[in-house]
Amino acid sequence: MRTVTITDVTLRDGNHAAAHQLGVKEVELYCTALDAAEVPIVEVGHGNGLGASSLQLGESKDSDEKVLKAARACLKKSKLGIHVIPGFATIEKDLRRALDIGVDVVRVASHCTEADITERHIRFVREAGKTAFGVLMMSHMISPEELLEQSRKMENYGAEAVIFMDSSGNFLPDAVADRVKILVNSLNIPVGFHAHNNLGMGIANSVAALSAGASYLDGSARGYGAGAGNAQIEVLLAVLQRMGHPISIDLLKLLDAVDAAEKAFIPQTPVISSASLVSGLAGVFSGFALPVKRIATQFNVDARQIFFELGRRKVVGGQEDLILEVASELAQQQKQQQSQNQLQQQTQQQNQENNYVTRK
Amino acid sequence: MSHANNLLVQDCNAALTLQLPKLAPLRNSILVVTGGTGFLGKWIAESVATLNDGFGFGIECHLIARNIQRFSTECPHLCNRKDIILRRDDVRYMSELPRDTSWVVHAAATPDNREHASHPVEIMSAISEGTTNALRLVSRLSQLQMFLNVSSGLIYGQQSLDLERISESTPGTLNCSEPAASYTEAKRFAETLCAAMRTQNHIPVTTVRPFAFVGPYQSLETPWAINNFLRDSLKGNPIRVLGNGKTVRSYMHGADFASWVLTILTNAKSGRIYNVGNSEPMCIENAARMVANCFAPMPEIVIGSSVNTYPHVSRFVPDVTAAQNDFGLSLAYDTQRAIERTVAWHRAISQ
Repeated sequence: MRTVTITDVTLRDGNHAAAHQLGVKEVELYCTALDAAEVPIVEVGHGNGLGASSLQLGESKDSDEKVLKAARACLKKSKLGIHVIPGFATIEKDLRRALDIGVDVVRVASHCTEADITERHIRFVREAGKTAFGVLMMSHMISPEELLEQSRKMENYGAEAVIFMDSSGNFLPDAVADRVKILVNSLNIPVGFHAHNNLGMGIANSVAALSAGASYLDGSARGYGAGAGNAQIEVLLAVLQRMGHPISIDLLKLLDAVDAAEKAFIPQTPVISSASLVSGLAGVFSGFALPVKRIATQFNVDARQIFFELGRRKVVGGQEDLILEVASELAQQQKQQQSQNQLQQQTQQQNQENNYVTRK
Repeated sequence: MSHANNLLVQDCNAALTLQLPKLAPLRNSILVVTGGTGFLGKWIAESVATLNDGFGFGIECHLIARNIQRFSTECPHLCNRKDIILRRDDVRYMSELPRDTSWVVHAAATPDNREHASHPVEIMSAISEGTTNALRLVSRLSQLQMFLNVSSGLIYGQQSLDLERISESTPGTLNCSEPAASYTEAKRFAETLCAAMRTQNHIPVTTVRPFAFVGPYQSLETPWAINNFLRDSLKGNPIRVLGNGKTVRSYMHGADFASWVLTILTNAKSGRIYNVGNSEPMCIENAARMVANCFAPMPEIVIGSSVNTYPHVSRFVPDVTAAQNDFGLSLAYDTQRAIERTVAWHRAISQ
């Protein structure tokens, strides 16, 4: 049976849920536990990856350098992975330093239609003798054939695997399987899948990916990740064991790690809130959940309406400033609607009064 | 002469000596190479220098390329020679070739698949429009003996795993509707265009389909297995073999490549097509071992280094019987020796 490699993304994707406040302390605790469980790859860093800490996207509690050094010190058997989006992470300032610290696996990501921007970063990682994967985010926005085209580019750039992300938790299992099949049949490199749970499909979609030929799957402790969270890693592992897939991870030690993580830094396990559900239906990046919630409160508008409008505009990760714009417009519309309603009420009242006077 | 340059001359001597009598038509002639600063162009320039210096051939070689700056940096010893003339031009828009040109090697297109992925339209334009323009220009040359179109072994598409070697008559298995096919389909178009110009305008044309190569001047940054093995070893790192190491390739030394191309250029009948490469297959795990053998201490070889194993293996090995039978072509360097020479050159230039 085909080997499947699991990547734990709690300390990276979970940072979306934690407003990027998972720092050295959390990294040390969880990495040590994951290493004991022999999880193959552990991804750490800001939710949007290396070099993304900023006012716009949210500032990290600790610098990339501190976090990576802490993770490196704790991971002996597990490989240290990072998420890199060209533009946020520059080669000279960020990537070179990360490789010097000892990162093993670099997952170079782009929006699903923009694989071109990953060439230089993938090339740099490969030339440094490290493992480079290509990652295509928001993959529900394009057809399987378009996804293949973009994946082929990454393969040509030297990516050693291509992972596609259901960043908004919009996929159903058949759609995932269709995409995995076309990639597996056409690429010469392995294929991976990263789930989000907005429609409650995190595990089902991961299993569909595996059955269709995927070799890499992502998961996080208790599903701790952006929006409604990811595939819950401990559940994923149990399901894979149940399916008879050979897994090198020690399940009991992984459960210990997850329990420790929950106690230490997961104040609330992810639930499929109404907003997350709408976000998934609208096909909006799960990482928008917290900022949308905050901005909706600030402008006193319905967060669900923000998600629907963001979905209509096909907004992608990195366009967080549009949340403000949308919320502001909705608030404006709301105000206009209220004024109109008031005016209508006043007119109706006036008419009623006039009618009364006339009748008299 | 520096040690590195000395190695290049030795390589050319070894490869050219085997074909020397057949190269006689090149004597006192003008040779034009488009894409003249690429891997093949550099080796042809080295070969011309060797033929002129060692055997008094008196060839005048014009190298045409868009970026001649890199050539000046990488081959300074060739830049100040009177018999090697560099010309910055785009093959799509160049307006003339030297009037007395006898031989043209049309090699203007990068084989780097990263470029093909990022700039498919530019690649197709460079190949299709470049070949069209080059053929128009050579049609005005009264002394043209042969136009050699450098195509690609990739035009066959995926080689079947149970096919030992792929011959020139294999029809190929490409899907022309994919952007990834931009380079190969453009190369196929260029071959057809050459055939059309041959029959319609009576231009003497031959085509070569190169496979895989190793040697000095090949950039270690290109994402091909053998280059990565060399790069890893030269940096003192373990050699990373992605997947299970069972993918099959064959490698020809750059000096042999140039020697074969010049022999075919000067001896082929118009309309003939030849595979060019090493016909001895080897799995890339063995190629990695050959690279490792050149270093002491030997670098570690990590098979399946990319965390998970690759699902596919591929095969890319030419049948070169036609070139061997028609011209008696053979290799000066087998793969092991080719790799050893490459390592020696990289060591020499880094000193």
